[in-house]
Amino acid sequence: MIELLKVPSLLTVQDSGRFGYRKLGIPVAGAVDDVSARLANYLVGNPADAPVLEFLLAGPTIKFNVSAVFAVAGDVDLRLNGVPIEPWTSYWAKRGDILEVGTLKSGLYGYIAFAGGIKCRPLLGSCSTYPRAGLGRPLKAGERLNLGHAILTGRDGRHLPPELRPDYSAEEKTVRVVLGPDLDHFTEMGIETFLSEAYTVTPESDRMGYRLDGPAIEHSEKGADIVTDAVPPGAVQVPASGKPIVMLRDAQTTGGYAKIAVVAAADLPLVAQSRPGERLRFEAVSVEEAQELLRRRERMLAAIRKFLDGEMRAYRIRTGGEELIAFAKVEKE
Amino acid sequence: MEPTIKPAGDSALVISLGEVIDDEVNRRVHAVARAIEKTGFEWLVEVVPAYSTVYVFYDPLRAGYSEVVAAVKPLLQVTSEEFEGRLLEIPVVYGGEYGPDIEFVAKHSGLSVDDVIEIHSKPVYRVYFLGFLPGFAYLGGMDERIAAPRLERPRLKVPAGSVGIAGKQTGIYPIESPGGWRLIGRTPLRLFNPEKEPPTLLQPGDRVKFVPVDEYEFRELYEGEWGRRDD
Repeated sequence: MIELLKVPSLLTVQDSGRFGYRKLGIPVAGAVDDVSARLANYLVGNPADAPVLEFLLAGPTIKFNVSAVFAVAGDVDLRLNGVPIEPWTSYWAKRGDILEVGTLKSGLYGYIAFAGGIKCRPLLGSCSTYPRAGLGRPLKAGERLNLGHAILTGRDGRHLPPELRPDYSAEEKTVRVVLGPDLDHFTEMGIETFLSEAYTVTPESDRMGYRLDGPAIEHSEKGADIVTDAVPPGAVQVPASGKPIVMLRDAQTTGGYAKIAVVAAADLPLVAQSRPGERLRFEAVSVEEAQELLRRRERMLAAIRKFLDGEMRAYRIRTGGEELIAFAKVEKE
Repeated sequence: MEPTIKPAGDSALVISLGEVIDDEVNRRVHAVARAIEKTGFEWLVEVVPAYSTVYVFYDPLRAGYSEVVAAVKPLLQVTSEEFEGRLLEIPVVYGGEYGPDIEFVAKHSGLSVDDVIEIHSKPVYRVYFLGFLPGFAYLGGMDERIAAPRLERPRLKVPAGSVGIAGKQTGIYPIESPGGWRLIGRTPLRLFNPEKEPPTLLQPGDRVKFVPVDEYEFRELYEGEWGRRDD
């Protein structure tokens, strides 16, 4: 069992999401940066979809009432019993230890994984928190959480080197999108504006969606409203104001604003990790290219998992000014 | 109209059967959605029907866009076989504290409050689809005589079970939420319960009939339906 001593910001339990209920109006929810959440789980030897803690900007202070293996994903300072320790690394905590998670230096969401996962009672097949519908609620100071059993899998000393970590520090990020499906609601000039200008993340942004500010996107004579239909995560809706809204994991399942594009799934964490004031630029790719990006990301994550499990070694290679990571199998003796 | 298929990002595609709110088109939407669900494709994540579109969410790591399009296309020819969902009676106490806008709706339509209740509770509505909130049903078939504009300033808290009118639509708030619909009544039934499977009372394709009840019946039903709650 762990105890939350301090909870300075939004802290929720999330897993890979709630699927199969969108047609009943229930959003997917789940970790907004599924890559960081998965890496945190890999670091402690968990399956990719084990429930983790997601914090917004500032992390909690946690007291361990049980010994446990944990890891924190995020660009953040950590202290275990007052002694600085590293993020992206797994540690053993003993009974009575206190973990202090600081404020993220870049990015917006951080993740804390525990070997065995956080025990929770799944609602509709998932532990993802979606407070609006009573599917879990944000955690408060003083609460206690039980951890799953992980005697066999939990291992400390797993470390993800900086070159394998996601980097969310750029103040202007380029996000790849598949144009459409409601392109006929925009003029050519509107589409051109969307693809050539930078859009600033506004403070009116949460797990549901990010409102962006920038040059207005022009609608065609069909206007900003469509006959209401489904909204996929990553959908870029443009209401009558012309200012785009990128929908995230908690987005309502259906909506009536025209969608100029949908963010490539591989780039959705980039959007989620952008802070208010940071800028996004959109680059159009084909649906096949977006799917190839996702396959490439999955191959990389699978290799990282093997690297963390000690089955592969990672090498850094520089060729023609480009840096590549190569993985090679470790031969067992 | 010939159906069109377009990508909606890299993990979904949208089948459009028109850009209309129409009973016949919506029946076809459900026929197509059911046909796709029945196939059990291993790449299929979920299907979301709306007024005139079917969104197909798929796993791009299991199948690429063109493969999914090829698999879905032959299923679009299904005729809108007469699928009728269940007929559900929804008890509603109209007016008073439960429906604070019913007098506005009556005035706006040039009718009496009793007329509004009669006109609203007469039709059998069809659940076109669910969305906006967990368990929120988009109902087709409201009599346009009682159509009313949304509030200029939405309420911050609309109680769960509130029955409202917005333009030519009517609907029930399944959970407490902000909202701008004109509230004419409230049902004691619980429309969303995450502890149940399925978690929503209404399913796409169901039919709904509102039945006026009095406050006493409401309270009795409320106790029975909601049980004791730790408010």
